[in-house]
Amino acid sequence: MNDSEQAPYFLEEGEVGFVEYQDFLYPEPFHFVSGGSVPELTLRFETYGHLNAAKDNGILICHALSGDHHCAGVHDIDERKLGWWNFMVGPGKPIDTTRYFVICSNVLGGCQGSTGPGSINPATGKAYQLDFPKLTVQDMVKAQTLLIDSFGIDRLHAVIGGSMGGMQALQWVIDFPDRVGRYIALACGARHTAQAIAFNDTGRQAIISDPAWQKGSYDPDNGPNLGLAVARMMAHITYLSDVGMETKFGRKRRHVDQSKEYFDVEFEVESYLRYQGQSFVSRFDANTYLYLTKALDRFDLHSPDSLDTTLSPVAAQGLVVGFTSDWLYPPQGNREIVEALLRIGKDATYAELAMDFGHDSFLVRAPKLYELIDQFLKR
Amino acid sequence: MSPNDKKRQADFQVIARWVQPGERVLDLGCGRGVLLEYLKQKKSIYGVGVDIDLDKVICCVKRGVPIYQGDIASTLATFPDKAFDRVIFSRTVEHLEAPDHVLAEGLRVGKRVTVGFINRSFYVNRLNLFFKGRQTINEVYRNPWYESAPSNPFSVAEFEDFCHARKIVIEDRVCLSGNWRSECAYLPNLLAGYAIYDLSSID
Repeated sequence: MNDSEQAPYFLEEGEVGFVEYQDFLYPEPFHFVSGGSVPELTLRFETYGHLNAAKDNGILICHALSGDHHCAGVHDIDERKLGWWNFMVGPGKPIDTTRYFVICSNVLGGCQGSTGPGSINPATGKAYQLDFPKLTVQDMVKAQTLLIDSFGIDRLHAVIGGSMGGMQALQWVIDFPDRVGRYIALACGARHTAQAIAFNDTGRQAIISDPAWQKGSYDPDNGPNLGLAVARMMAHITYLSDVGMETKFGRKRRHVDQSKEYFDVEFEVESYLRYQGQSFVSRFDANTYLYLTKALDRFDLHSPDSLDTTLSPVAAQGLVVGFTSDWLYPPQGNREIVEALLRIGKDATYAELAMDFGHDSFLVRAPKLYELIDQFLKR
Repeated sequence: MSPNDKKRQADFQVIARWVQPGERVLDLGCGRGVLLEYLKQKKSIYGVGVDIDLDKVICCVKRGVPIYQGDIASTLATFPDKAFDRVIFSRTVEHLEAPDHVLAEGLRVGKRVTVGFINRSFYVNRLNLFFKGRQTINEVYRNPWYESAPSNPFSVAEFEDFCHARKIVIEDRVCLSGNWRSECAYLPNLLAGYAIYDLSSID
């Protein structure tokens, strides 16, 4: 009865391969928690695998702040980058596309095809920009239910996400307890710490104080790129760990010192972060960054009632995973969710992985994480 | 099932006798979740396990047993008084860093506490120590001291002394003989290989 696996746990895997995104249009007004509304809504999404006749094998994957709907496969032969969770999603992988119908949508408020501050308001013919309503994680989830409805799915097999995606998974099982069988929330928390809010606001200030921001009404081709790049550079540091950065970069240098200071790239880590900042600008909208980070800062399962009370509607089985080196969403913040769930008699599991990749650990292929998710979904 | 697995599950039937259907059970140091799975099948309990080891956690996930990966003492501290009908320490107490404190916490969180342990003063252990001057090595004590994790074994008599000193009520006691199957009613401190206690606190 030795059921512990000593050998690395990987399954017979295939690949999702070529995928195409689709757009879901909800032609009715969508009302936000804040009271604001948009006259119609688009969510860009991808699906992998097939919906069964009973329509009970759906899994919704929720992406993190800078993620998108493209979580597995490639769009065309020239695309070098795989979907952001490709190692987890595919035939024979833990989120097995031969068993499950997997849906991943760009979040409401996003900038990768779903309705967000950069979208054109049909009422005015111009981009919403700061006229876009105040956004919460609850709104993101409510919008996703419309997409799930469009498939005729009453109840999802699972909702899964890391970081902001984990918060959405939690919101799902609180707001729609009858519609989810199980959930996995990775590297998340019941609310932001003061430190997390502080980092987010420093990022927002970098954007807002960039003269190109223009109080949010910038031309999309000429946005606050400098501010957004700095915001991303700083945020990216919070996604890594000191050990991880030391191992990856240490004090490695790009070129020899010169007699004069140019404040040019000297250390490898500078080059890496600058590249991260610049490439982010080409794919992300500054106002979306402001809206999403605010929605995350506002997310608080301790309010208006206690955490135990907020979680009381939950009926789904849960798996919450914390990572030892994650100092942005530290293990304690993940643990307290499960502690509350167990206090109120829910079926919940907490696992903690010792990985050196900081907050981004959930995006790294690791045998134990792989095994954990596989076993949880299969059982 | 190997003889070792049989030994590992020696206290299952006794514990199942004490557990009422539908109870809320917390198993501290639950390992692979086999006891909780057994109690879930036999008694339809709501069971939660606690263990520090990720591989054990994954086994519990596989079994469908809710599990919290963490340290026993700090996990107990997160639960309010009498949050569980029963708190189980099956072969766990000897590995605790502060057994006195953790057992008190167990009695605070659980209406009943079950403690199962290997009786250190079993006559075979005494004879080995007396004649050979060495610890027993057999299927129970499988490794020599230098290959074993630190542990703090105790005897039936020592455990009862502790219960009396702390005014813990012994509601029931089952001692098993050296084969860990038949009950041992006579001179348990000498003749019992394994002992299981059903405890409560005076309220």
